Formats: sequence, C-alpha cells, structure tokens
Amino acid sequence: MKPLNSNPTSKAELTGPRYWRSLDDLAQSPQFLEQVEREFGPEASELSEVDRRHFFKIMAASFALGGLGFSGCRRPESHILPHSKAPEHLIPGEPLYYASSYSLRGESLPLLVETHTGRPTKIEGNGDFEGYNGGTSLKAQASVLDLYDPDRATHHKQDGSSISQSEVFDLLKKLKDGLSGNNGDRFAILTEKSSSPTRQRLKNAFQKAYPKAIWAEYEPVETDGGAKAAKLLAGPNLKPLYDFSQAERILSVDGDFLGQDPGALKFSKQFADGRRVRTSKDEMNRLYIAESNMTITGAMADHRKRLASSQMAGFLAGIALNIELGVEGDALKPIFENLSSSLLADEKTKAWIEKCADDLAHHKGKSLVYVGAQLSPEAHAIGLLINEKLGNLGETLTFVEDDSGDAVSLGELADAISGNGVETLVILGGNPVYNAPVDLDFSGLLDKVDSVVRLGYYEDETSYKAGYHILQAHYLETWGDGRTYDGAVLPQQPMILPLFDGLSEIEVLARLLGETNADGHSLVYETFQKSAASNGKRAFDKFLHDGFVSKDGYKKRHSLVSGSKLANTLEGFSQPEAPTAESLEVVFVNDAKVDDGRYNNNGWLQECPDPINKLTWDNGIIVSPRLAKELGIVAPDATIQVARKNPNRVRDGRTFAPVYKLKVGDLEVEGAVHILPGLDNYSIVLPLGYGRSKTGRVGQNSGYDAYSVRTSSSMAFATGATLEATGREFQLTNTQEHWSMEGRAIIREANLDYYSKSPDWVSHMGMESHSPPIYGKDKYMPTQEKVTTTPRGESLYEHPDHTGNHQWGMNIDLNVCTGCNACVVACQAENNIPIVGRDQVRRGREMHWIRLDRYFSSGLGKTEIPEDPQVMVQPVGCMHCETAPCEQVCPVNATVHDSEGLNTMAYNRCIGTRYCANNCPYKVRRFNFFDYQQRPLDRLYEGPLAPKGKPELLQMAQNPDVSVRMRGVMEKCTYCTQRIQQAKIDQKVEARDSDNVKVPDGTIKTACEQVCPTNAIVFGDLTDPDSRVSQLRDNELNYSVLGYLNARPRTTYLAKLRNPNPEMPDYADQPLSKLEYKQAKPKMDYGKGHGDSHDKHNGHDQDAHHDSARDEGGSH
Amino acid sequence: MSKVFPKGANSLPLKIVVFLGIFVTTTLASITYYVTPKYTRVGYEPIQPVPYDHSFHVNELGLDCRYCHSKVEQASHANVPASSTCMNCHSIIKTDSPLLETVRASYQSGEPVPWVRVHQVPDYVYFDHSVHVNRGISCVECHGNVNTMEVVKHVEPQSMGWCLDCHRHPEEKIRPLDQVFNLDWEHPGGEKAQLELGKQLVNSWNVNPPQSCSGCHR
Repeated sequence: MKPLNSNPTSKAELTGPRYWRSLDDLAQSPQFLEQVEREFGPEASELSEVDRRHFFKIMAASFALGGLGFSGCRRPESHILPHSKAPEHLIPGEPLYYASSYSLRGESLPLLVETHTGRPTKIEGNGDFEGYNGGTSLKAQASVLDLYDPDRATHHKQDGSSISQSEVFDLLKKLKDGLSGNNGDRFAILTEKSSSPTRQRLKNAFQKAYPKAIWAEYEPVETDGGAKAAKLLAGPNLKPLYDFSQAERILSVDGDFLGQDPGALKFSKQFADGRRVRTSKDEMNRLYIAESNMTITGAMADHRKRLASSQMAGFLAGIALNIELGVEGDALKPIFENLSSSLLADEKTKAWIEKCADDLAHHKGKSLVYVGAQLSPEAHAIGLLINEKLGNLGETLTFVEDDSGDAVSLGELADAISGNGVETLVILGGNPVYNAPVDLDFSGLLDKVDSVVRLGYYEDETSYKAGYHILQAHYLETWGDGRTYDGAVLPQQPMILPLFDGLSEIEVLARLLGETNADGHSLVYETFQKSAASNGKRAFDKFLHDGFVSKDGYKKRHSLVSGSKLANTLEGFSQPEAPTAESLEVVFVNDAKVDDGRYNNNGWLQECPDPINKLTWDNGIIVSPRLAKELGIVAPDATIQVARKNPNRVRDGRTFAPVYKLKVGDLEVEGAVHILPGLDNYSIVLPLGYGRSKTGRVGQNSGYDAYSVRTSSSMAFATGATLEATGREFQLTNTQEHWSMEGRAIIREANLDYYSKSPDWVSHMGMESHSPPIYGKDKYMPTQEKVTTTPRGESLYEHPDHTGNHQWGMNIDLNVCTGCNACVVACQAENNIPIVGRDQVRRGREMHWIRLDRYFSSGLGKTEIPEDPQVMVQPVGCMHCETAPCEQVCPVNATVHDSEGLNTMAYNRCIGTRYCANNCPYKVRRFNFFDYQQRPLDRLYEGPLAPKGKPELLQMAQNPDVSVRMRGVMEKCTYCTQRIQQAKIDQKVEARDSDNVKVPDGTIKTACEQVCPTNAIVFGDLTDPDSRVSQLRDNELNYSVLGYLNARPRTTYLAKLRNPNPEMPDYADQPLSKLEYKQAKPKMDYGKGHGDSHDKHNGHDQDAHHDSARDEGGSH
Repeated sequence: MSKVFPKGANSLPLKIVVFLGIFVTTTLASITYYVTPKYTRVGYEPIQPVPYDHSFHVNELGLDCRYCHSKVEQASHANVPASSTCMNCHSIIKTDSPLLETVRASYQSGEPVPWVRVHQVPDYVYFDHSVHVNRGISCVECHGNVNTMEVVKHVEPQSMGWCLDCHRHPEEKIRPLDQVFNLDWEHPGGEKAQLELGKQLVNSWNVNPPQSCSGCHR
C-alpha cells in the first residue's frame, strides 16, 4: 500500500511551488520524512524489526531459491578485471605510498600515505623527515576515516538544493567580477589559520588586488599568545619556536606540549630523547609543570603544581622574581611582586617556585620555560623574559620570522558586519556558527549579510546559515602544501580524485582572484617555482617524492627581549582573584579527540578514550575530587580514594553521573560531571567540540556544547562560575575505573636517584621474587635460547619448542610513553577494527586491540582526597605469552601458537565460547558480540532479518591485508601479523637461492610502533642478540607484567623513572606508586638486605643483586 | 487379541539398521567426495570472454609466463594482463580477428575485459605468488601444465590440506630457479633424484615453509 501522504520526489516538484500540510512538511524535517516513509502510523502494530514488505521480499527470495534446488549450488562466476591500459607504478595487490602532509591549525605533519588500488587506507609518518621519527598524531591517524564518512556533504548546494560544479564556478566567477568592480568593498573572507605557502601567496594576492576587502582568520582554539608576545617584546613579525632537544630542565606553565599544543609531535620526540634511560648512569631531563587541567604532559611531570589557569601570569612572575633580572630588574620587580603576591603568600607555593627557579637558573642555556599556547600574551611575555634571562634564547627558544601576514580577528569582522559593512561573506572552512564566542552571536550576524558563501566539508551549523554551500574536498583528495612547526615546507598530494566533486580552499581562492590555472596542482607548482628551493620540474618531482625539500624552516632572527616593553605590556594588566568554591574558574580545552569539534563525526576518535579521563563518546564537566566532595557528588562518608562514588549512583552495575548546570555570568550549560583527580581544586575543565546540533550520525547527541558559555573575553578560561545540581543523571561512558594499582607492581616506577643507587630494583618488585622461580635451573640461559627452547622451569608440563627462523617480541618503554593514544587508533586503522558505539562501550565491549591503562597513585592513605596524584600510563595489547593461558582453554584450537612465537587466532575455527578471554590475565581479547562490521550501531539488537551491510564509502577504508571478523568471533592483537608475513615474504623474494631469510632488525614496524612519536614501542626478533628488542629485554629495567603467572609474555616493559628534585617541597624519595606498593605489601620485603629470610627462593636470592641484567628471566 | 503388527514387522528393526547404515555411509562418502575442493574445483573450465589459447602462445610462439603475468615475481597477485599488453602484438598481427574484438574494444574504451576467474582462494587466505616462484616453486605445481591447455582448467584441488602437503614436504616440489617457468621440467634423474636435489635445496636455501595458521591467515 502506498502511503497516502505520498511525497513529491522529483527535483522539480521539490523546488517548485508546493502545498504543505504542516510546518514540518514545509521544512522537510527529518521526523516528518521518517513519518512519511513509514507504512503505518506510529501506534499501528508492525512486525517488530521487519516490515511486511520486507518480509515478503525475503520469502519470495527463499521460494525462488527453493525452486532452484541444487542448481543453485554451482560455483558463482567471478571476474578478474585488469586495467585496459596498465598504469605506471601500479602493481595489482601491492600498496603504493605517497608523501603528503596533514595540517591542523597551521601546522603540517609529514606523512606517507598507504594506498591500495587508489584508495588511501592508512596514514603513516614520513620516516625520512627527521625530527618526527615517522610518528604521527592521533588526529592525523584518524583523519583518513573522515574521507569515507558517509555523512560528509556530497553536493554543492544553493539554499538547500543541489547545484553542479559548473554552477559553483559560475558563482565564483560572479563573485570575482563583483570584487574587481569595487576593489573588494563590502566583501569579506573568513578562513582558518593555515601555514600553506600557496594559500599565503593567494592571500597576499587577494589583499593586493582587493584592498578594501576584509580578510579575517579565526581559530576557536587560540595558539598565538607566544607570537603576540614576541611581537610586543622582540620585534615585529617574530614568533618564538621552542626546542626541547637540549633542555635539561623544563618548566611548563599550563602547557600541554606533549598533547594538544602546536608542535606537540615534535616536542614528544625531543622530550622523550632527553628522558630515555638505558643504564643507571644515564641522565634524564626534569619536568616541572604548573597546570589547572590534568594533561598527559602533567602525567609525565617530575613535579606538578596544581594551579588555576587564571593564576599563571602570577606564577610566572614569581619565577621571574627568583632569577637574575639584571639592570631591567628594578623596573620590573614591583610589577612582578604585585602580580605574584597572592601566590607567594602561601609558604609551600613560595618554596616550590623558589626551588624550581633555582634549578632552572643552574641550567642556564639548557633550561626552558614553556608557556601554554592558549595563555595570554602577557603570560607569554613574562615567559620570554625569563627564557632570555636564563640564557635560553638561541638555545631552547629561538625567534623566527612570522610571514603569515595581516588578518583581522573574528571580533573585528563581527563589528564590520554589524555596522552593515559586509555584503558578501565567504567562509572557507571552519564552523563559526558553532564555535564562535557566544557574545558575537555569529549566527544572528550572518542574517545581516546579503550573501554567505561557505566552503565546508560537512553540512554543519554554518552551512545551514549560508546561502551557498560549496563542497570542500578532503586533504587526501586535493593538492596543497603546508609548513611544519619549524616551517619546513611539505607537499600535500591527492591520493584519489575528489569523491564528490569537492574543491579545496586554494582552488576557491584562485577562482576569486580570476587565476587562469585554478586547479590545485598548478597552484602548488607555481608556488614552488617561485620559492627559493625552485629548480624546475625535477625539483618539484623530488619534492613530491621525498615529501619535503629540506628541514630548514622559518628564518631565524636574533633578537633580544625588551624588559621595558614588558613593563609597558604589563601596565594595567591584572590577573583575576584565585578561584574559590563560590566563584569557580572554567577552563576551555581543545579536546584530545574531536579537537575543536571538527572530528565530531569521526567514530574512531569518538570511541577512543580520552588519554587521561578515559571518557568516550561524550564530554563531561571535569571537576576536582575536592570540589566533588563539596558539591556532594561523592557520598559524604566515603573514603574518597577507595569508594569515591555515591552508592546511589551505581545501579545495575552502571555508574550514573549527576548532571549539573554550569553558570558563567548569565550564560549556562548543562553537562554530566566527571571527577578527575589532579585538577586544580576550583578549576573545572570543559572540553570543546561536543554538543553539535548539526552533525552526522556518529556525533549526534554526543556531550554538551562548551562553546555556549565561552565569550570573546574568556577564550581560554572564564572566572566567577557556579555549579548547580539539576537532579538529573547521565551515564557517561568511561573505559577505565581504576584509581589505584591495589599494591600490585603492574607498573614499576622509581626515582632516578634510587635507580642509580640500586640498579637492580626492578627485579625486586612484584611477586616473581616470591613465587616459585619461573625458569628454575635455566634462569641464566640467554634470551635467545630461552625463547626457542621454552625451558620447562619448575612447571609440571613440557613446553613445545619454537622452531621458526625468528622469535617475535616487543618492548614498551614506560619511561617515554606519553599516553597520547595514537597507537590505539593506528591499530584500529591498520587492523580493520570496528567501532561499537556508546551503548556497547558502556557494556565494556570496545574492540581496541591496544589500550592505554591509566593509573593514578596518591600514596595509599597519604591523603583522604587524592588531590596530587601521579599518573602513569601503560599500553597493553596481546602479550603473546609463550605459555599462553588462552590457548589451553580453547576447545576448538582456534587460538594456537605459531612457530615464531605468535599467539595466533584462526577466526574461522572460533566458535565464540569466550573461554580464552576469561582466562587471559591481561584482558586483551575482544569479542564480536554483534556484527559490528555489518550493522548500523543503532540496530545491533535487531534480528537476523534486519538489514545488513556497510555503506560503500566506509568499505573503502578497510585494509585489504587483514581479514574482517564477523559476529561471534574472538579477536586480539596479532603483532600486525600481516606486516610480519609481508616482510618475511619480501626477504625471501630478495634471498632467492640464498639462505638469507632472516628479516633484518627494524624492517618490521607494527602499526603502534610506527605511529609512536617517542619510540616507546620496539618490535623485533628475539633470536637476534643484537636486535633492539633483545637488547632491551636484557636491560635491567625490563620486566614482565604479572610475570609470576609463568605465562612468559613476549611483550615486556621497561620500568618508569621519575627525576624529582630533592630540594623541592613536594619531593618524595619514592614515587607515589612505589609508596603504595610498599604500604599494600607490609609483610613483603623488597630491595636489598633481606635475602636471608627468603633464601629458599631461587628467584630472590643474592645472585639477583650481582647479576641483575641476566636475572631478567628470573622475573618472568 | 488380534495382532497389532504383521509378522513382517519383526524384520523391520534390522531393515532400518541396514538402511540407515547404507544411507549414512553413502551420505558420508558422497560428502567426502563431492563436497571437497577435489571435486568442486578440479575440472572447472569456464568459457572466457576471449578464447585465449595458452598452449598456442607458449608452445608455438615461445611466450614466457611472465610476458603477460608480469608482476608474478614481485607481487602477491599474479596479474592478468591489461588489454594494452595484448595490443603490444595484436595491433600489428591479427588486427581484424573477430576473436580479438573484445580486447580491441576494451583497449579503445577503457573498460576491462571481464576474464572469468578460474583459481580462487577464500578471502581469508593470503597467498603470495612472488615468494613461491622466487624460491623454486614452479607455476605448474598449483596450476598444472597451463602451457598445454587450450582453455585454462582447474587441475589441483587447492585445498588447505593440499597446500600443507607441500609445505610439509617442500623437497618434493622445489626446483632450481632457472626452471621455475619451464612448466615441462622434471628432474632428469626421476623421483629419487628430485628428492635428493630437493633436500639439498631446502637445506642450502633455508627453506622453511610456514605451517602455522599465521603463514596464510591474517
């Protein structure tokens, strides 16, 4: 039966005059369309899950099949479709790699993109470009999924109806003609920040050609405080660049330089290189940090001071007071004293600042004061002065030329619009209707503009306010270029033709300028030929091939920081009062996953847990435990450390977070409250980028919109906020609930001093030194032999030998792992891991093969409220145990060992008993409870007849080298077996008739290893004594997690070290986790001088002290 | 009381047992025979859109396998030639043969020739041609004597057990590298000499074909 209210479907009918039944009909609202699609009214009874027509369809198909009988059993004919004309370089079945780059907020990262028969599937870092280790960021890894987002805009549109690309070109031509007529009067362009030389060239040309036009740039996440300060103090067109490679003492002031700040990827490598410790004599840098939020950078800190973001200028002033300021000091001192007086009133803080400044001053030229990118120019200005006085200019901090040119701010553009000075507004990228400061009422302003043309990747909030929506192409579809943090120029190559006729920003700009060759390639080529590196076509080809010309970037300029200018700058600057329970501080942070909201519809990122608070799919109002206690979120009688939750909020084993109303001035927003230790007591953190009103299916209803309480005067933080209970609750999706290690030595951590005194400390932690010895008489057998012969030790059972040519193993250095989560998504992209959706994550069914366990320790019983915790992160994937517990319980031999030590999964054999997951001590096995690869996430629970199938676009994101798993199958980390096999095959192809079949060390990089910006993960062959992984396994810091279980994991860890300063008031001679470990095991001894009470235990005798490097096996 | 069951019913249980015995045996036997790749795959000989005759091109014209399957030594996939490869010769010779119309049309239009796939491993099997041909396993071991086939035919079962037979005893099949593409080659010394040579090659080349799941399943 055809629905009565049948809807016109042809385009002419839709656009022509028509009658409507309701406002919903007129607006074609989704609810209305859905209702139209339905056969029966909402209350009519329907077959659940299947409608009548679908039922008949299925039945008809079954009858047809039945009639065909056995004739249906013929082998289906399939075809091989070779090219008509073989393209150059393309070998069917082999991936091709292209150098390219990924840009975010004007910082490009060098990439190597893997393409399979023309579709990009995996982003890798460009290993040839020094300084990045071939690493990439979390967001870069996930950006490939956006290309295949079925919710991306697919048509150019004019007032909601599709137009063709040629119509868009006509539009741009018309705009161009209008522009040339009046020098760009009443015309404005609003763009995002970019470092692209081509865009720079076009911008300059635009400003020259149309002098009256307005060129505005806006980024919701501000990162230019440093550049503004440099312009104030050091000279025009300068900006500071930081360099952590030589920094031995680092003070980070509200900076997340390992996480969200510009340059983070590069800093991660530099910072990690200064922290990598291999022997007890190695040196290590020291990180002091003052911050309001708990960031991954804060987790790495040796000393961490919780401080409200609004107090950071005062904190910096306090540091400045404690170093030599020279002649300029006299004028500045009173200003600094004034700024820092309230902070220094607290004795502990005063001592912290003094001792920290002391340490920095003792490392002149080798220290660095890093100021968070979002902080005010004033704070940055003080930071610059301190760095100059510490002799860091030209060493760890250099000034470079900033040639980004002039642009007005969003505020100035808003003024122009409200003064009716703008007739045509072209918005290139961004999403200002969603993320502009609320006081500008940008959405309302757009009504005052006659014509709004918008270039956008999604049909988002801004598109709905724009008359024209021009389809933006993905960066993997278009030509472009960009500059790294240091300014080195990188190409951006298209991997595939635009899937939907999209255009890039530079192509639109070129058309507005009336350039004759307005295609991306010509534009980039022309920029390159005009640049210094230019040397004809060959140089350009080399540029594309290598992915860069040289590492040289922005021009370095020597300049001094003027103290008197600083005094001028700070004149009239005062910082707000420190926040209190009645007047809270609100800190807006760039979300680690969805960024400023641009990745809101990216499933990989939405499902990836936040590195620290471990929330997925939603954002919370993040508060400190102290504030939570005062607000009554935790039960008043609960010992907050152990039972922090109000038992009333745990129902059916699920935790519900209370929803609070946050009021900032007269603005308010509601969100679920999440308690995170380590926050400044009265600072609350609001991650940006959620609560979008117009987004795709993934981002729908995710979190609350923190932009709705953010104004132009409070871009980084706001003060004077209050929280009010609403009485409602919301179930946040958190993937990790641990607060404490409960005394187990899962992470082993010590101070550097302690390590240098007792180099064998690692082997004395944990149960291994007390449980029966794992390797028995074979304790001192070399690693190479151990992994092949699998000695029996004290076990009842004989273990089979491993006979393969290689024995794979992995080592993860906890000391340099920053917990950035890039490995989680890299693994997801490489191994076709599905996302499971919010509801399934709440049930603990996320599929990530590698996870980052985050532990807090606050010293057990030391404090009632864990205000100053230390944070540790530990990546955990399948450990590939030599005597794997999972294998013994599989009834169908679906998980078995291979000859090279891999614990393999034969998906076809798996019948889904899940015994293996139960028996896995590391909880790394993941089960396909549903056909996540085939079903839409909101229809998982429908029966077998429900529609199946993945959108074609999404299918293109799959890696053809990895099987896609179906419902009812267990899966887990395979050590990227596809990469191992490919490397072995390549080696054998090369060997031909020789016996050189061993894969050289470093050839195979697992996806997690490859993406890691700090080289924390090392994979290799354990039979080769010179391989990196063998070396690390024999290192004295090496240990196995839960080694006493005799599972003999192939993944081992290097213990974590901290390097605190004994002078500091918050110095503890042991890290808090170690204190906790000691307190939880009062009867157990560890360390030296207690061997006699345990002499019957081999694994714990005095030998261990003499020969700890070889004792590694004993601790297995 | 009258008899409920006729006398003949006494033999019914036996009949049932015998019948079931025969039924089960034939069912099992037919399953083991008919529902295995040995039966379902071997002998598959589809009609191709272009009647390309391998035996003619190899034996009469002396074409090497690698002229058309050019990437077999470098890639996992032994590519089927692009139409442009055919046209290298056929733009000069037999330029108006009606049999080649499909190829010419494809070359002109850019549409591929829909060759019918003869050998197909399941999606979860990752077979690699390059590693086999570069390590002394000839095409003939899996594809049979294609050089004598007018129409390509599936001659080996290509089942997992069949793969493993060879992976367990590579010495039976391995041959010197210069003979890999000579499909007619057999060791002149016969089976025993082949075994001897095979063992020696396996040893000196360190041939260690994977027998674990991870070798082929990823």
